Formats: sequence, C-alpha cells, structure tokens
Amino acid sequence: MIKFPKMKIFDSMVKSNSYLVGLSMFLLVYFIGFVGNWFGINETIVNSVWFLNLLESRWVDYLIVIIISIPIIGAVVELKYGENSVKHRDKSVIYMGFLTLVIIVLMYPIILNKTLLIEIPQIFSIGLTLRIDMLGYAVLILSAFIWFFVMIYAHEYMTHEKKTTRFLFFLALTYSSVIGAISSGDLLMMFIFFEIMTITSYMLVIHGQNEQSYKAGYNYIIMGLIGGFLILTAIILLYFNIGDLRFTSAIAKLDTLGNLKYWIMGLLVFGFGIKAGMAPVHVWLPRTHPVAPTPASALLSGVMIKIGAFGIIRVATSYYFPSREAVAGIDDPLWQAATNIGAIIIWSGIITMALGVFLALQQANIKKMLAYHSISQMGYIITGIGVALYLGYEGAMGLTGAMYHIINHALFKSLLFMVAGVIYYHTKELDMYKLGGLWKKLPFTTMTFLIAALGISGIPLFNGYISKTILHHGIVEAYELGHPVFLYAEIIFIVVSAGTVCSFIKMFYYVFLRKTDNEYKTMVFDYSSLDIAMWSMAIIIVLIGLSPSFILKSLIIPILNLTTYDPYFIEHHIAHMNVFAYKDLLMTLGIVGLGFVIFILGKKYHLFHLHLPKWLSIEYLFFLPAYIIMRNLCRIMYGDRCPMDKDDFAKLTEKDVEKIGFIDRFIITTNVFNRRYEQSIIRSDAIIYTGFLTFIIILMLITKL
Amino acid sequence: MNIEQLPIINLLLFLLMALVIPLLKRKPFKITLILGFVVLGLVLISSGYLLWYVNNVEVIHYTFGGHEARFGIEFIVDPFSALFTTIIAGLAAIIYIYSSGDATEGIEKTEYGRYYVLLFILLMSMFGILYTNDLFNTYVFIEILSITTCAIISIKKKKDTYTSAFRYVMMNELGSLSYLFGVALIYMATGFTNITLISESIQNAYASYPVNIIVALGFMIIGLGIKAAIFPFHIWLPDAHSAAPSTSSAILSAIVIKVYILVLVKVLFRVFKLDILNEMNISTILLVLAGVAMIMGSVFAIAQKDVKRMLGYSSVAQMGYILLGIGLLSFEGLRAAFFHILSHGLMKTALFLSVGEIIYYKKTRKVNDFDGMGFIMPVAMGVFSIAALGMIGIPLTSGFISKLNLGVAVLDQNQIIFLVILIVSSLLNVIYYLPIIILAFLKNEKYRYRLKSIEPTPRTMIAPLVLLGVLIVVVGLFPNQIMIFIEAAANSLLP
Amino acid sequence: MWLDRIIENINYIGAIALFVIGLRIVVTHSNLIKRIMGINIMGTGVFLFFVAIGNVTGGVPPIVNPEVEDQLFINPIPSVLILTGIVVVVSITVYSLSLVVKIYENYKTIDQKELSKLISEENNEH
Repeated sequence: MIKFPKMKIFDSMVKSNSYLVGLSMFLLVYFIGFVGNWFGINETIVNSVWFLNLLESRWVDYLIVIIISIPIIGAVVELKYGENSVKHRDKSVIYMGFLTLVIIVLMYPIILNKTLLIEIPQIFSIGLTLRIDMLGYAVLILSAFIWFFVMIYAHEYMTHEKKTTRFLFFLALTYSSVIGAISSGDLLMMFIFFEIMTITSYMLVIHGQNEQSYKAGYNYIIMGLIGGFLILTAIILLYFNIGDLRFTSAIAKLDTLGNLKYWIMGLLVFGFGIKAGMAPVHVWLPRTHPVAPTPASALLSGVMIKIGAFGIIRVATSYYFPSREAVAGIDDPLWQAATNIGAIIIWSGIITMALGVFLALQQANIKKMLAYHSISQMGYIITGIGVALYLGYEGAMGLTGAMYHIINHALFKSLLFMVAGVIYYHTKELDMYKLGGLWKKLPFTTMTFLIAALGISGIPLFNGYISKTILHHGIVEAYELGHPVFLYAEIIFIVVSAGTVCSFIKMFYYVFLRKTDNEYKTMVFDYSSLDIAMWSMAIIIVLIGLSPSFILKSLIIPILNLTTYDPYFIEHHIAHMNVFAYKDLLMTLGIVGLGFVIFILGKKYHLFHLHLPKWLSIEYLFFLPAYIIMRNLCRIMYGDRCPMDKDDFAKLTEKDVEKIGFIDRFIITTNVFNRRYEQSIIRSDAIIYTGFLTFIIILMLITKL
Repeated sequence: MNIEQLPIINLLLFLLMALVIPLLKRKPFKITLILGFVVLGLVLISSGYLLWYVNNVEVIHYTFGGHEARFGIEFIVDPFSALFTTIIAGLAAIIYIYSSGDATEGIEKTEYGRYYVLLFILLMSMFGILYTNDLFNTYVFIEILSITTCAIISIKKKKDTYTSAFRYVMMNELGSLSYLFGVALIYMATGFTNITLISESIQNAYASYPVNIIVALGFMIIGLGIKAAIFPFHIWLPDAHSAAPSTSSAILSAIVIKVYILVLVKVLFRVFKLDILNEMNISTILLVLAGVAMIMGSVFAIAQKDVKRMLGYSSVAQMGYILLGIGLLSFEGLRAAFFHILSHGLMKTALFLSVGEIIYYKKTRKVNDFDGMGFIMPVAMGVFSIAALGMIGIPLTSGFISKLNLGVAVLDQNQIIFLVILIVSSLLNVIYYLPIIILAFLKNEKYRYRLKSIEPTPRTMIAPLVLLGVLIVVVGLFPNQIMIFIEAAANSLLP
Repeated sequence: MWLDRIIENINYIGAIALFVIGLRIVVTHSNLIKRIMGINIMGTGVFLFFVAIGNVTGGVPPIVNPEVEDQLFINPIPSVLILTGIVVVVSITVYSLSLVVKIYENYKTIDQKELSKLISEENNEH
C-alpha cells in the first residue's frame, strides 16, 4: 500500500486551469453527445432555422480566418504583457487556445453539411484558397485538443526555463500556421503555411540556445527548407501542367504526363516526408527532440509531423484520385498511377517503421527513444497511406487506418513526451539507465505513462490497438487483393509491433520499476497544471480505446464518403468493423509475448547497449559518395602539391556525423575550392575574355555554317 | 511643353543638377541635398507619367534636332524603357534618401559634392541608355556610365579601391570595345545604327553577310556580358562592389548591371529578332551561361568572409536568374526576367543599404561579426532578414514570385534541367544567407542591454530601409498590378 | 585572285590585326601601362574598322566644292561617330593612367603580378 504524502499545490493558476480543462471535457462530452445524438441534440441543432440560415450565409466561411487569426491575436496580447505580468501572459495564451478549441468543436455540424471555402484571387498572381472539409477537420480538432492541453502543460513547465515569453509567442504563431496548413485549399497556400511553420517552430527548437540546440536547429531548418523547395518544385510543375493548384482531382490531366506524374508525387512525398520524419530523411527528428523544451517536442511529435502526413494524404487523395463522377470501378485505368505510387509508399513506410524501432531500442535518452518511436509510428501511418493509394477504389481501409493512427499517435506520443518532461522536470535527468524507482514518487505520472505505453503498444482497450488492427487489416488486404509480396510487409509489421512493446517494457522497467540507489528524497508530490493536462489526455486515450467505433463514425466515415472510395466497401467493411475479433486479439497476444521475449533476451545479453559505429549511421552512408568526393577534392584540384589545411582535412575525414554535418562539410569544401580558384580566376581577366570570345564565335559559326 | 520632350527633360534635369552642385559649394550642403531630391522627385513623377502615357496612349518618338532617324539620334519611350526608367528612378530615389542620411561610408566630407555629381551623371547615362534607339548612342552612354561608375568605385581614396577600379576599367573597356566592334560589324552589313532601321534590314543582311552578323552577335554578347557580370566575366564585380561605398554598391549591384543586361535584351530582341536568334541557337549559349552563373555565383558566395563581397557574388548568381529568363527567348521568360530585375533590385538595395548601416555604425564587414547584430540594429537587421529570405525564395516576398515565374517559364520551354538548377541555387542561397540571420538574432544576447546606448540612427536612413522591406513584401503579395506593365514591356520587345 | 581580295579589304584586315595585337598585349603583359596601351591599340583597331566601312573607292572627303559637280563623297557618318569614340577612349585612358599613378603611389609597383601578390599578402594578414 502506497502512502500518499501530502499533496502540494504550488501553481497559482492550477484552479483556473482545472476549470478550463473541465470545460474542455464538457466540450468533449458535447461532441460525443452530438455524434451519438443524445436527447436528439443532433436533430435539434441541424434542423433548427438559425443553423440552416448559418449554412446559407456566406459569412460562415470566414470562420477559417477567425480560427487562424485567434492564435495570432493571442500571441500579440501575450507579447504585450510579457515578463511584466506572467500570470496574464500565460492566461492570454491559454484562453486563446481554449477559444480556438471551442470554435473548432462547435464547427462540427457546419463542416458535416458544408465545406467551408474562401478564395482570394489575384494574390501571388495565382490566387489562394482556404478550405476546411472533413479531412481537414479531423486533424484540426485533434490539433486543437492537443494544443490546448500542451499549452496548459507548457505554461507550468516553462516556469523553470528562460525567455518564456518568446517561447509562448512562437508557440502561438506555430499554432496559427498549423491551423492554416490544415485548412489550406490549395498546394501553394499549404506550402506557405508550411514554410511559416518551419520558421516559427525553429524558434521553439533552439529555445535552449546552447551549442547542441543550435546544431540541431540548423539541421531542422535546413531540412525543412529543403523539403519546402521540393514542394515548390512540385508546385511549379503542377501549376505549369495543370494550371490549377486547388485540391481537386487532376488525374485525367496528370495521366497525359507520362513519368512526370511520378516525379511530381515523389517530390511531394519527399517534401512532406521530411516533415513527417520518413526514412531516410528523418535525420532531423531524433536530434531535435532531445534539445527542444518538452512542450515543443510534444507538439512536434504530436501535431507537426502529422501535418506532413496530412499533406501526403491531402495531395494523394485529391490530385491523384479520380473524381467520383469519372470513376467506373476498381478496374478503372485512372487508378493505375495511384497504385504504382502506393506500392512505393507502402515500402517506404515499412522501412521507416522498422528503422525507427530498431534505432529506438538502442537509445538511452528517453526523449531520443520517443523520437525514434515517432519515426516508427509515422511509418505505420505512411504504410496506411500507401495502402490507401495502392488499393485504389478499395483502399478505404488504409486511409481509415492512417487517419485513425494519426489521431491515436498524436494523443499517446504527446502524452509520452509530457511524461518524459515531468521526469526531467523533477530529476533533471533523461538517461534511462540512471533513473529508476520513480513509480513510488510519481504515481500519477506512472499511471499516465502506463496508459500511454499500453496505447502505443497496441493493447486491447487502449487506442493504439484499434488503429494498428485496422492498419494490419489494410496490409492483409494489400496482399490479398494486390501483390503477394506484401506478405513480407505484414511480417515486418508484426515484428515492429513486438519491438515497440519491448521498447516500452524496457522504459517502464528502467525508469519506473527498477530499484536504484537514487532516493529522490527532495521530490515533492504535487498536483499542478502538468498533471491536469496529462490526465485529460489519458482519459481521451482510454475513451477511444473503449469505444472504437466512435472516431470511425464521427470523423473517419465522413472523410471516406468525401473521398473517391467504394461506398459499398465503406458501408460493409468499415462502418461495422469489429476490431475485437478473436484473430486480432490472438495476434496481439503473440506480439506482446514476442515483445517480452525480446526484452528478456536483450536485457540478459546486453543487446540494448549495442551501439552501431557512428559512421554506419544513415546520414553518413546516405551521403558517403559526396563525402569521399569532398575529402579528395583538394587532391583532385591541386594534384600532389595539395597544400591541405590540416584542420579542414581533419574535419572532412571525421566519421561522426554528429560533430560535422553535411552542410559543414560542404562549406569547408567550398572554402578549399575558393582558396584555390577565386584569385586565379580574377587574375586571368583578359584570358577568360579572349577564350570565351573565340569559343563562342567559333561555336556560333559552326552551328550556322 | 510637349510630352515628347519629357524624356529629354529628364536627362537635362540630371545634367543640370550635376552642373549646379559644384556651383553650390559654398552654400550649406543641405541645399544641394534638397535640390537633388527635388530633381529626383520630378524625374520619378515624369517617368511615372510617361509609363502611364505609353501604356495607355501611344509610344513616344523623338529625334534630336529634327534630323531624320538614319542620320540623327532618336529617343523612343515605349513600355519597355518607360518601365525601367521608372524602376531606376524609384530605386535611385530610395538610395538617395538613404545616402543623404550621412551614411556615405568612407567618403571624405569634401568629396560629398563630387559623389553626388557622379551620381546624377550616372543616372543620366542610364536613362539615356534606356531611351535611346541608336546603337552608337548607346555606346556613348555606356562609356559615360563606365567612367562614372569607376570614379564612384575609387572615390574612397583608399589603397584597394584603386586596384579594383583599375580592374574594372580594364574589363569594362574590353567589353565596350567588343560592343563597339559589334556595332561596327552591324553597320557594315546594314548601313544603319538606328535600331528600328537595322531591324528592318537585318534579315537581308543576314542572308548576304551571315559571318558579319554572327561575329557581331558574339562580340555583343560577350561585351555586354562583361558589363552585366555574367559568370565567367564577373571577375571585376566582387572587388569593385566591396570597395565602393555602400550606397553606391547598392546602385551598382541593383541598377547598373541590370541596365547592361537590358541593353543586351534590346540588342537581342530589337536588333537581331527572334528568327535569327533561333537559327543561331543563341538560346543554348545563354542558358548554359545562366546555369553556370546561378550555381557558381552562389558557391563562391558561400566561402566569402566579407559581407559585401558575399553580396557581390550573390548578385552574380542573381544575374544568372535574369539571364536564364532572357535566354529562354519567350514571352514567359522575359516576363520572369523583368520581374526578377525589379525584385532583385529591391532586395539587393535593401541588403546593401542595411549592411551599409551596420558598417557605418559598427565599422565591421566580416560575416562573423554579425552575431547578435539583431539586438543592436533591429531595423537594419530586420530588413536584411526580409531581403535575405526573399533571396532564398520564401513565400510572401517578391523573390518567391520571381522563382515561381522563372520555374513556369523554364517549363514552358521544356528545359526541366534548369528547374533543378534553380532549386539547387536557392538551396545554396539558404546556406549562406540563413546563418547570418540566425546568428544575428540569437547569438550574443549580451548586446541586448546596450540597446539604449546605441547611437540613434537618423530617420532618413531608417525610412528608406523600412520602405524597401515593405515594398518587398507588397510586391510579393500583389504582383499582378506590376505584372501588367511588365507584360506590356515584354510584349513590346516581341513581335 | 586572293591577293586582290586582300588588297581590296586591306583596311579591314589591318583593323583586325590591330585589334588582335592589342588583345595580345592585354593578355600577356602584366605591366599596367602596357595593358592600357594594349587597350588603346584595340580601340584604334575598332575605330579603323569603323572608318574603313565609310570608305568609298575614289571618294573625296565630304566637303562640298562648289566648283566641281557630281562629286563622289565618302560616307561621313562613321568618321563623325568615331570622333566621339576617340574622345571617349582618350578620357578612359587618362582616367586609367591616373589610377596607375595612384596605384604606384600606394604600392610602389605597376606590375600586375606583384600587385596581386601584395594584395593577397595584405588580405592574409587581416
């Protein structure tokens, strides 16, 4: 029997925050009630005159602008209070988040009946569109809930950090850009908000402002901008070939482009994939999370990488899907492009999830481990998207799984990061092997951790189980309806799930269960905003786990109905799906068993401490040819007289990518190049003139005569 | 007064101003400044009016002294020249306001008068180059421009300015002579120096003397390429631009080299016409030059330690963008190139002026010394960041629209490889611009507490910077209004 | 046959020869004054070329002599244009010579190679 010490409440705002969270829970209940049509609430609202009037009026479209601008206003207000009045500052941020949440939840009946649309012609000479339909709304409501809880968590967590005002300011701006990216109606608009998101979230990542965080941040922003440029290339190609960037079906025109359409999709998948943490362009993710403050990691992993996945879904299901009117059935040749792309996406998803879990098992740093799990879980989502594309008309199962897993992963991963944050908050330690026995000191945290861990491991009655089962169904369909090679994908899927289970057993054992010398005597048992936020997320996780069909009914079926999928399939296989079939439960049991086996073996033979050499890391291998060229460039340029700078050469031969990144190497190489050639080019002014003059004139004479 | 005389009056105003400045030597310098500003304002208004007039009423022809065009000199104000004279006048006015704020860094007090004399002659010659419809007259104006530019470069009277000015003279003289040789060859084949008359007879001349025309074109491309700092001929640019005072670097980088490339545009599209160009496959040569410039300019810029040299090399890369648009020899390409001339003009001016302010107050031009500069000089660094983001091509800035238009133009001519080069070049831009912004705003926060102790910047320096920052964003948001004029200019060049 | 053609075009050939000689001086010599001279020779070549275009075989300078009728004048326009050109090149020459003087005052050398060596040494010191 644990003896609870006296609870200490030291957060002045904990009361008001509790009320707010209570209200948000009430909103949740309202939402559930509305979907379940308790007391006829649904019919009353939908049939009432003012609601119909509201739908008719064109002002309702401006709700999009309102929800995008509320966080900005909140940010400005927050900046005004600044450090002078911490309480007001925090309140302005939190109330702004709550207001957005309220509006978004109340928007549900409107979105269900109408797609909100604002067109801004002229701007950028192409015109921009804002649009919220069910697909956007599902991600929007998810982001709103998580952002609100994280805001409550953040203001408390950040009391121990410096420059909180700046952090909260950029947090709010990032929120605004996330909402904007979700409610974009065309690719250009989405790209713009994406770029804003990259820049504002950069400020969150480097908040620690030490050498490490600058390095990770530089990596983050460079990768983000590279992704942006890939998307920009795709935008130019699409705009030139289609002439319209709005998210509507364009497959009829794309089909005439031959292989170019795959290039475009490849650019888009990689561009969004960088944000989504897809292998092999995930490298920024595990570096960024350990250095960013916990609320930022929770949101990065919980929401922002989902926006990358959302981007892929959005693009794929609009441009690359035939419109409902045009499609004849599953054998329609229009599906061909989607099928080919889907097959590639499935495999990249599978590779991502395997790689993520494999690397996660080796980590000692909790946040790093969670980051690698984010990659792995994004692999699940990407696989789901791949199935959704691969099976074409019958791919509804894949999309369901992907969307469901986006929702679930957002919930449990931000909760897990919050737990890591609480551990760090109390112990200032993130190394798993140095912690231990925390369950006595932090019982509430342990319980929330358990709930989240059970969620991510896919245990029945918790949310992860449902989406993983659906995704599994999707992969099974892929090899039953498609190519048998996806049987291997299923095997990898099961092994990866077992790895996930093992990983969280390991974390639970080392951090919470194990006995250590650390007594943590000074630790106080407290109740603060941190716990409120975490408990509410845990409750949502359990609620979803208990009634799997709720999310399907409220959010996902409307999405599927708007997408070009077989209505018969949706009606029979998804709407009335039973995830608790004995076969699935049996498989879960097997996965958990396998997880335990891996954990015991790993602990016995110290497999978790097995580190691959640094030069084997993905980044190094990926760019190895470039490194070799760069390293030898000096020799190539100077020959034997290479007056090499020892320092530079040492940096170029460094095998550890953590120390010298790709960009640094590139800059060093250009320096060498510059030293060699700049002055000699400048000196040979007249020679260049003569040479080029003769060359060009001879060339022109040859072409002509 | 007749509207036909308005372009001449523009030129005369500049010349008069240049004459008046030495006369006002004994008066307070403020009078000169205000008078100069009035002149610039008048010219801006009249060029703006001319822009409206030629787009909505008719093209203006003016021959000097009433001689017919084949003997005399003819000025033409069409959408093309009217647009770019307006842009030049606008940018020059902004730079002028800034330079009046006592920031003509490195120039001795006694040289101020001379600096402004040179500035007005410089502007006069640029207007002349754009207005004139005569190849030889263009040569004369080009030479005036070269001499004044060179004098401005060496005005600081420092050791290194002399050598860079000398290199500038040598290279530019090679360029001018090549251009003149081209004119001679064309004159030999056609018997005219007037562009309109040449273009009427160039097809016949090409049929009878193909070698003349080809060699002339080769010489003119190389000659103007040197002056416009196209990549292998950019040699003079980094030294010259880093040696000059910041305000004149802005003029040189943002305006002067653009004028030369506009001459090239005139030569290509007005003198030789598309048929001959296509037959000679000029497009490929120009595109290869452009592609190399876009990559190599940025690669050299990455390694620079001196911020102004870095900006100079960045100009080399950006000239590649413009040449890319021109080299496509299509309407879309010209449109994109013209828009980029405007947007790069705005961004480079903003960059050089903000850097100029930093150099003026902090006396440093090393890239590494920019750490924490955002706290000391928030406005300058803020504008620098906006312009640098524009260079990278972040949306909401005019640079993004340039990239978008260039990309579409490139695809239109089915040159997909240049889209890749465009993107790679943007990435290289990221590598050298982004660290400056990051370090300026995030490192060395100890400066923050000295915020109040910094020397207050004169409003005449802050206002143009802010104006430029706003313009970059506004042009980036609403390019359509300007696009009308740009498209008219592009149309006037194509048949 | 070809000798005739050469004689016919002798002024063009001479002009181009001057241009190439000038260019060779600019390329190969590192003495700054010699380079300026090279540029001048190039310029002269171009001017000669221009003037040669205006030549009409058997023509006289275009000064109207009231006593003679039906005179064959040479084309005066190139000569007029080149007058301007000569002025321009003279001013450029003067300007660059004055720069050379300044360079000599500061660096005590007018050799391009030594100059670049001096400058790069200076840059390395900083």
